[in-house]
Amino acid sequence: MEALERYLEAVGRHLRGGRREDIVAELRANLEAQLDDKQAELGRPLTTKEAEDWLKQLGAPLQMAARYQAQRYLIGPEMFPIYWLVMERALGWAAAIYAIVSLVLLATETPNAQSVVDALVRLPGVLLWVAAWVTLIFALIEYGAARDPQKWQGMLEHAACFPKAEFTARQRSGLHGKRKRTLAHAVAEAVFGFLFLVWLLLIPQHPWLMMGPGAAVWKASPFALAPVWMTFYWWVVAAHALQLVWVCVELARGTWQKKHGLRHAVVKAIELIPINVLLYAPGQVLLVLRDPARDGARLGATLSGWNEGLHKAVLVIAILVAAQIVWTLVNLVWRRGRGEAE
Amino acid sequence: MTLMENLFENLRLELRRGCLTLAVLLQLREEHYGYTLRKALAARGMEIDENTLYPLLRRLEAQGLLTSEWREEEKRNKRFYRLSAEGAPVLELLLAEWQSLNAAIETIRQQGKGE
Repeated sequence: MEALERYLEAVGRHLRGGRREDIVAELRANLEAQLDDKQAELGRPLTTKEAEDWLKQLGAPLQMAARYQAQRYLIGPEMFPIYWLVMERALGWAAAIYAIVSLVLLATETPNAQSVVDALVRLPGVLLWVAAWVTLIFALIEYGAARDPQKWQGMLEHAACFPKAEFTARQRSGLHGKRKRTLAHAVAEAVFGFLFLVWLLLIPQHPWLMMGPGAAVWKASPFALAPVWMTFYWWVVAAHALQLVWVCVELARGTWQKKHGLRHAVVKAIELIPINVLLYAPGQVLLVLRDPARDGARLGATLSGWNEGLHKAVLVIAILVAAQIVWTLVNLVWRRGRGEAE
Repeated sequence: MTLMENLFENLRLELRRGCLTLAVLLQLREEHYGYTLRKALAARGMEIDENTLYPLLRRLEAQGLLTSEWREEEKRNKRFYRLSAEGAPVLELLLAEWQSLNAAIETIRQQGKGE
């Protein structure tokens, strides 16, 4: 029958994956049997109109095909409460941070009505970005959960924070230090990691984001940062981006609960790179004069003193970070030696 | 449809959802293909739409509760389903759960009448 063939073809168009032909063949067998029964009851073939009415009762081809798809939602009912909680908090924080940044911007520039309107107009875009990131992260988690439900079931049980009574009991017994990382914690890390990365990337264009009103004072001062700071900056961005990717991968793979001594050590090791960039800056020069010809004689000695002090500070930081790496690695080896999961 | 009718319809669908799986597993202690299964269930008072039943069979098979095979019958290839060896104990557990729920609802209902 032509109408049935058209219906099956339309269902097939909306099916995905290798099961398409199998599903259509099965549906054809069932519907043809049903059609035979209908025609036997009537004692004649169905008219085109009757056949179309019958097929309409089965539901639109798209709906029929959708019923065969394993996952028809981005975020399922089990995950939704956690998603909503994180979304509320992320949007709240993003709005608060945006408000503070906008107020600082308005305070440092000449305030006018247009600036205020511009800031307000940009707000929905910022919030949409945050919402999109939170949704993307949760959709990845849901996808992982759909593929391996058993593995994720246990993890989801730990997704929400402990009930207060249990938490207090754990605190009393000193167990809180061993508490596993929750899903909410891992998602918050990813969302705020992303916001932090955006903030980092905006700093070269808008130094006030880091220095506040001090940016104007710095701009007016005779000193400037040496070019080595740009190399340092890009290494910091890269280290942070790597950490963000790492958190996202953990979320997608469902491994956010594990303790991450190794990740901590790797991130710390990567943090050593920008510190070393500063430590081995050519001539140990971290600050320069904007106009050496004008200020060289007057401020040359001050500049040397500052560069020397800064170099020592960077050296101390490098030693501390190296010590942290060693400490993390020792802990990691010790835990593995005791058979604790990383 | 009024608001109350709409609400009732949603609650009815929610109530039926789990029962459908139980009915399908019970009926598939005997082998059926999709259409005859639908007819057999309808004959026993359990009407199920095609677009619910046929995908449900696939899902139950993917979960290991059913087995299936393609076979020719009346000059047509059809996919026959049957309760799997793994599905049988699950069905027993589900039946026990169903009976326990049923008994609980009945007790609560009788209690309400007595008060």
